[in-house]
Amino acid sequence: MKSKFLAVPFAAAAAFILYILPRFFSMDYYLHIFVMSEIYAVLVLSLSLLVGFTGQVSLGHAAFYGMGAYVSALLSVRFGLSFWVTFWIGGLFAGLAAFCIGRLVLRLRGHVLAITTAFFGVLVTVVMNNWIPVTNGPMGITGIPRPSPIRLFGLDLAIESRTDYYYLGLLFVLGVLYVLWRIERSRIGDAMIAVRENEELAKSIGIDTMKSKVFAFSVSGGLTGLAGAFYAHYILFISPVTFTISESINMLVMVIFGGMSTLFGPVLGAICLTVLPEFLRMAGELRLVIYGVALVFFIIWMPMGVWGTLRYHLAARRK
Amino acid sequence: MVTVFFQQVLNGVILGCIYALIALGLSLIFGILEIANFAHGEFYMIGAFMALFSISYLKVPFLVALLIAMAGMAIVAALIERAVFRPIVGKPLINSMLLSFGLSTALANLALFFFKADPRKITSGLAKYRFSFQGLYVTGERLAILVLSILLVLLLAWFIQYTRTGKAMRAVAQDRVAAQLAGINIRRIYSITFAISGALAAAAGTMVGAMFFVNPEMGFTVVLKSFVIVILGGFGKIRGVIVAAILIGLVESLGGGFISYAYKDAYPFLLLVLLFIFKPEGLTGGKQS
Repeated sequence: MKSKFLAVPFAAAAAFILYILPRFFSMDYYLHIFVMSEIYAVLVLSLSLLVGFTGQVSLGHAAFYGMGAYVSALLSVRFGLSFWVTFWIGGLFAGLAAFCIGRLVLRLRGHVLAITTAFFGVLVTVVMNNWIPVTNGPMGITGIPRPSPIRLFGLDLAIESRTDYYYLGLLFVLGVLYVLWRIERSRIGDAMIAVRENEELAKSIGIDTMKSKVFAFSVSGGLTGLAGAFYAHYILFISPVTFTISESINMLVMVIFGGMSTLFGPVLGAICLTVLPEFLRMAGELRLVIYGVALVFFIIWMPMGVWGTLRYHLAARRK
Repeated sequence: MVTVFFQQVLNGVILGCIYALIALGLSLIFGILEIANFAHGEFYMIGAFMALFSISYLKVPFLVALLIAMAGMAIVAALIERAVFRPIVGKPLINSMLLSFGLSTALANLALFFFKADPRKITSGLAKYRFSFQGLYVTGERLAILVLSILLVLLLAWFIQYTRTGKAMRAVAQDRVAAQLAGINIRRIYSITFAISGALAAAAGTMVGAMFFVNPEMGFTVVLKSFVIVILGGFGKIRGVIVAAILIGLVESLGGGFISYAYKDAYPFLLLVLLFIFKPEGLTGGKQS
């Protein structure tokens, strides 16, 4: 009960800090890291819907991220559509793709599923690299426009500076959090958790496990696609190297790092693992060696992630 | 055209035999420790470098270098198993997967740091012999690779089927607890499994290094392909894995030669999708774990 009592002031304080943050860290470098943390927060949240709640591992989520980015960028570059339209089309496209792929591969389990999705990711990068008339191949797409100004509630909103992107991204993260929160509390959310805990049992009590898995996969892919669209219109340049399997792995590491099956863990993981590697830049060529070794030790010592381990110790202390 | 076709078939079979060596090791580790070892490609890469350095610094012949690489990598793999993988045996699959990704990243970049990215070739000294048969050409080197890889696969099959240790390995793969109750030291089996897999990967790396190039980034694409082979062949089924490896080798060689080289990396995936649609129970049938 104590925790509920504290929730309101805690949330208010968090909101205030998030609102005031760009005032203190007004350098472009910091703001860029904040915006990237927001994008990763969305990516990791949507992946955690699949991995954390439904227990299905995907190693191909960078493909949906890339699809969202490419569809949105191409529509606005080639057809001059506004970001506010292409953003949703990008997400929808990725979601539909996820639905089709999910129908095909989600009858597989565990490692087999992970590796099949990984190969789907490879397939998408191969297409991005080689379908040159449309994707411009390894050269990528340049000249992606920023979101056009819109009028909302009598206010003219233009997204120009990084601070604007920061607030827009914040809105995006909150929206995704709300969607996931609603899913978690719905019947299908319960069905997803049942699938994670024991698929056979879930099936035996009449849960359509395939349907819940495909639902989780499609929503997860769709949200990932939205993040891709946001990324494309923030960086203003995209190329296939951003959407390789190492990005999929990176997202999974963030999911694990924060701790799965909560909504706070993934956000924590996304922020930590966007900020921490910035310190590793000093290590130069050995950066990825340190990253790899750190990952190995992390998995051995904190298999439940930072937030999961913290909660475990807190719970142990209360008893 | 016909000769080109058969030349590509021959190349595909050779490639497939090499893939079989890597995939069999992967399949062993998966069957016995229930770990998806994504660092397996790095075992293959490090093995290739061991052979490369034995030839360039110790001036040993190709065969000796192959044996040195296999022995060296067996030791390294067993040490890695002891230090890194043993603490997480039995944990959820995502943990072992990410751990091996971490290991893979660390090893590949360490190799990149020390050996640099420029591709190098292992000189076997066998490339100067050429055999021709009905217009088909095969160099002594490729013939040696074909024979060696077939020998190694047969040796492995014999070892697992007939020796005491091999039987113990199969027992652990079937039921870890029951094997322990029967008095099998499963820690020893884990180490041996990694050592064998490491040695096979090193052999494959050395052969690929002789046919193509050795560089620090050679591991990752191979490991994904090998996983596809293991899935196609069925986990823990030696014969299935060999068939699947040769199939993938052929698809890559023929597809790359006759359809489109640019989409070469996509073929294994398409094959996998076709398998799921038409034969969900696996290539050779039977129960899939």
